Amino acid sequence: MSDMSELVLKTEKLDKVYKLGGRQVRALSDVNLQVKKGDFISIMGPSGSGKTTLLNMLGCLDKPTYGKVILDGIDVTKVPEKRLFKVRKYRVGFVFQTFNLMPYLNAVENVELPMEGTKKSGDEKRKRARELLKMVGLSEREKHRPHRLSAGEQQRVAIARALANNPAMVLADEPTGNLDSKTGYEIVRLLGTLNIDQGTTIVVVTHDSHMASRAGRMLFLSDGRLLAKEKQGTHLMEKALTCPNCGREIQPVDTFCPRCGRKL
Amino acid sequence: MLLVVIALGFSMAIMISIPSGIMANQEATQNLTENFNSTITDMQEEINKTATLIECQTSSGQGFPSGAPTGMPRFGSRQEVFVNETIGDEIRSIEGVKDVVPFFQKSSNETTSETMNTPRGSFTISRPLYTITGVCLNSSFIDSYSILPTNVTSGRNLRDGDTGVLLMSSNLSDYSGVGVGGIMTINGESFTVVGIYEPTSQGRIETRMVCMNITDAQTVTGQIGNVSRFDVYAEDASYVDEIADVITATYSELSVTTYKDRLTQLQNMQDMYNETLKNAESTLSQTQSVAFQEIVIAVVASSLIVLFTMLYTVRERTKEIGILKAIGFSNWNVMSQFLLEGIFMSLMAGVVGVAIGSVAAPTLSSLLLPHVTMFGTQRLAGSFQGPGNPGVTASQTATATLDPQLMLLAFGVAVLLGALGSLYPAWRASRTSPMEALRYE
Repeated sequence: MSDMSELVLKTEKLDKVYKLGGRQVRALSDVNLQVKKGDFISIMGPSGSGKTTLLNMLGCLDKPTYGKVILDGIDVTKVPEKRLFKVRKYRVGFVFQTFNLMPYLNAVENVELPMEGTKKSGDEKRKRARELLKMVGLSEREKHRPHRLSAGEQQRVAIARALANNPAMVLADEPTGNLDSKTGYEIVRLLGTLNIDQGTTIVVVTHDSHMASRAGRMLFLSDGRLLAKEKQGTHLMEKALTCPNCGREIQPVDTFCPRCGRKL
Repeated sequence: MLLVVIALGFSMAIMISIPSGIMANQEATQNLTENFNSTITDMQEEINKTATLIECQTSSGQGFPSGAPTGMPRFGSRQEVFVNETIGDEIRSIEGVKDVVPFFQKSSNETTSETMNTPRGSFTISRPLYTITGVCLNSSFIDSYSILPTNVTSGRNLRDGDTGVLLMSSNLSDYSGVGVGGIMTINGESFTVVGIYEPTSQGRIETRMVCMNITDAQTVTGQIGNVSRFDVYAEDASYVDEIADVITATYSELSVTTYKDRLTQLQNMQDMYNETLKNAESTLSQTQSVAFQEIVIAVVASSLIVLFTMLYTVRERTKEIGILKAIGFSNWNVMSQFLLEGIFMSLMAGVVGVAIGSVAAPTLSSLLLPHVTMFGTQRLAGSFQGPGNPGVTASQTATATLDPQLMLLAFGVAVLLGALGSLYPAWRASRTSPMEALRYE
């Protein structure tokens, strides 16, 4: 269906076995997954189905017991631990359920953090971080530390941070799990916008069906196996967003309708 | 964290106080050595003088101790006997004699009756009002032998060429009401008082004295040409016995005293000084080894403090490490982060340490090095006031002070300790698995 060069990520027969107190637990078995450039994929499944394990594998935080993870054409399972940080730094961006911002750094500094140790100068880092914060709608809150930001705002900062080094894909682990439904919806819209406008490849792990349904493709994981059934999501941006009050078209990042000023 | 910095600061303060204490100790020892060496030199001089002295007293005359020739004739009413001063010239011609110093001493004709209170009851005694001492004021004698009273409290001392003047003991001045510049009449002759001296205290009753040119003394007492005592000095200590024998054999009217005992005493004292110096040096070296141990302990304690604090910090911040690694920090990035933190903490502690040290270094070092203060003040000062000692009291108190070099060194040590103590924790942090660290709460 698609050209190999368009594949951002491919897994082959991915197996992961944990040892828990002498007992072997098979967290993943024979997972074959393909992610194309520009995909917005959600992976659903109940707790303990292996969602997070799979995501950790994709993000090079964990190594599979068997199988390959090919990211941007590189088999990352063969990259030695000492050099793996480069893959994490430049090829993937992580978004966590609990945001995981550095509490002692402000928004802009948090976004700059992954650019530490790159060739960018201080000014370039600052410029890039500001662009990203503007993109997620937080220009006004650059100097705020996480504790002075709302949960939704923190997650936006986290998304901006994930994008800092222009990664091949963004991996999000329950990005709305710690947010109320309204804020969660904002984050979903933001990810959708990024996917449409910037062509960012996104893989989201969630058990929030609302979130999942907004993705282009929905995959289901059960007991470590990827189920054959696959759904086409009603992609967020296939329908234009409208203000429920005045009916005008609005942007996903808007928190207030630009026409009537109603809070969305 | 603050507590840790303060604790660490104390440890560092100890680290810098000890060397400063040691430095002070060294300095004190050095001062002491210099002090002692000059004392020992003085003593050697006295030994040489004493060793060659032969005291020749008229047989039934009053003895008065050497070293204080114008001091106290023993109290009593023995008959005063004199010899002709030409004997002095005869003695001077004996082989091996270097010098002969004549003295004249006679009680006044007036007497007083005094009541003394003692623990055993009251006594009424009758004694001469004062004693006249005649001293040979030739400058060569005044300069070479201690023949004049030393502690003149007002006016001046006697000097070569003085005549018609006298030096008066303070108790006589009190008794008679005559001060410096006043006139004292002895047997009808008038003398001007040029000075008052404080007699060295020996016994309960101090003899009242006047001190004058020997010729004046002889004239005013009607004893022209007579003397009470000769101090004979031999060329060398080895001649003393021989000369004493000759004098005893030739002049039955003189009783001869030499000062072998005094010599031994002086030599013992000299030995004691040397001993104490040696002790001081060994104390110093002991103190140094104690200090070395203490510094080692302080260094080990400091690195342990850094180690445990950093281990705790790494544990506390496991999640943070996980995040950093998940967003692409390398092992080295993480490790250097924690190393720098450890060094920073240690440097802060260094600042605290120097602050504490600059205030409390003397106290701390004296607490940690008990010898430092004990040194001069107690142990040494007491021992050296032997009888007739020239009176040098060598007392050195070591006070620890911080110099800038030491402070700079302290900062260097702080950086080193910080790096050393946080090496393992930082390494552990760098090896943390990001996935497990992220799960850590």
